[in-house]
Amino acid sequence: MSKIKFTLNGKVVFYEGDPLRRLVDVLREGFQLTGTKEGCGEGECGACSVLKNGKLVTSCIIPVGAIDGDDIVTIEGLRETPQGQCLVESFAEGGAVQCGFCIPGMVMAAQALLLVNPHPTEEDVRVAISGNICRCTGYDLIVESILLASRKGEGLW
Amino acid sequence: MVNTCYIPKTLEEALKIRKETGAVPLAGGTDLMVAYKRGVGITPVFPFPVMIITQLDELKGIKVEEDGTVVIGALTTSVEIAKDERVPYFVRLAASKMGAVSLRNTATIGGNIGNSSPKGDLPQPLILLDATVVLQSLDNTREMKVDDFIIKAKKNQLAEDEIIVAVRIPKPDYTYGYYRKIGTRRANAISKLTLSSIMKVENGVITDFRASSGAAGPKVARSREVEKMLIGKPIFELSSFIEEFVEAWDGVISPHAMPEFRRATTKNMLRHFLSVCADQPEPGIIE
Repeated sequence: MSKIKFTLNGKVVFYEGDPLRRLVDVLREGFQLTGTKEGCGEGECGACSVLKNGKLVTSCIIPVGAIDGDDIVTIEGLRETPQGQCLVESFAEGGAVQCGFCIPGMVMAAQALLLVNPHPTEEDVRVAISGNICRCTGYDLIVESILLASRKGEGLW
Repeated sequence: MVNTCYIPKTLEEALKIRKETGAVPLAGGTDLMVAYKRGVGITPVFPFPVMIITQLDELKGIKVEEDGTVVIGALTTSVEIAKDERVPYFVRLAASKMGAVSLRNTATIGGNIGNSSPKGDLPQPLILLDATVVLQSLDNTREMKVDDFIIKAKKNQLAEDEIIVAVRIPKPDYTYGYYRKIGTRRANAISKLTLSSIMKVENGVITDFRASSGAAGPKVARSREVEKMLIGKPIFELSSFIEEFVEAWDGVISPHAMPEFRRATTKNMLRHFLSVCADQPEPGIIE
């Protein structure tokens, strides 16, 4: 048993239990934040992507014991911000979403990109979401929606 | 089943735990968490004690010593390595091609060496450059070549009480360099085959030549003996030695799966690099 303290979507939270529990399980089952999805469970598909200290990580391969004191942002936290709102609106406007399972991870990947590169090229976007697998869309509408967010959200990032 | 897990706050504490319990260091977790995963909502169970060292700041960062040796802390991530221009080209390139961005934000150089997979991306260029690992225990610090440290797939010389603390890369000195990773796609690909090579030419004579083949045997393959075939040869005669060398290198690698593909492709890559070098272009990286 260990006690882990971290910031989750802007609030300080505590976890008590096995430090080798996966972050994705702590988020979904412990904190009921089910926006973060589990796809492959091997860090390959990107569905469980969250931001750790502003950087994109896959929460299925991170033990909760590795994030003491860190800042974690999930899709639920991001959507409450102007940046998140802009991404959500752009994804809707651009028709980026079909089944939707990959989308929380895609939005987190887009946020991680725009935080360091507010005016990405199409190639930048494709590289930034290269760890996020979508089986519906063929990616083009997701890429266009992220580019749309970067234009519509001028000044937000 | 219950895991035994420690979260040391300092390197000294980690070394003590390591000595007393033999707990296995978990650096980024990108290999261990996948190896012992059990399923959705279920905590992985490890058949050995684990210590999570992800947050030990003492083992993070990159510095350059006076003689140009680059020292990379064991917990430095692939993203940090890929973006640091002081790190030799081959290592940066290999780091930039590991997995996708989220994996590169998590995976560490110490973990990649400690996992000792022949498909690991970083050991291959590190072995080319004669890089060493620094191994620390409570009582001792020792250093050995990455090539000697990794014995074979998943087997290395890490002692029960040691932790990999750093990697040291001597300043490379070459005229021509080459690096290629072959995977099934651009992102998230585990290497099917990799090759790096460097050649130094002085006054028209090849004074250093090295090659390093990854994912082509139970460990990264180098052969100083075969490399010597080209050392001392005049560059204008290089083209007449290429086939003989390429055949000799074929005896250095020992691919188990898809040997025809791996052997043919390794030969093609070496032939390409050497034939471009034989034309004596401007010094630099050969695409």
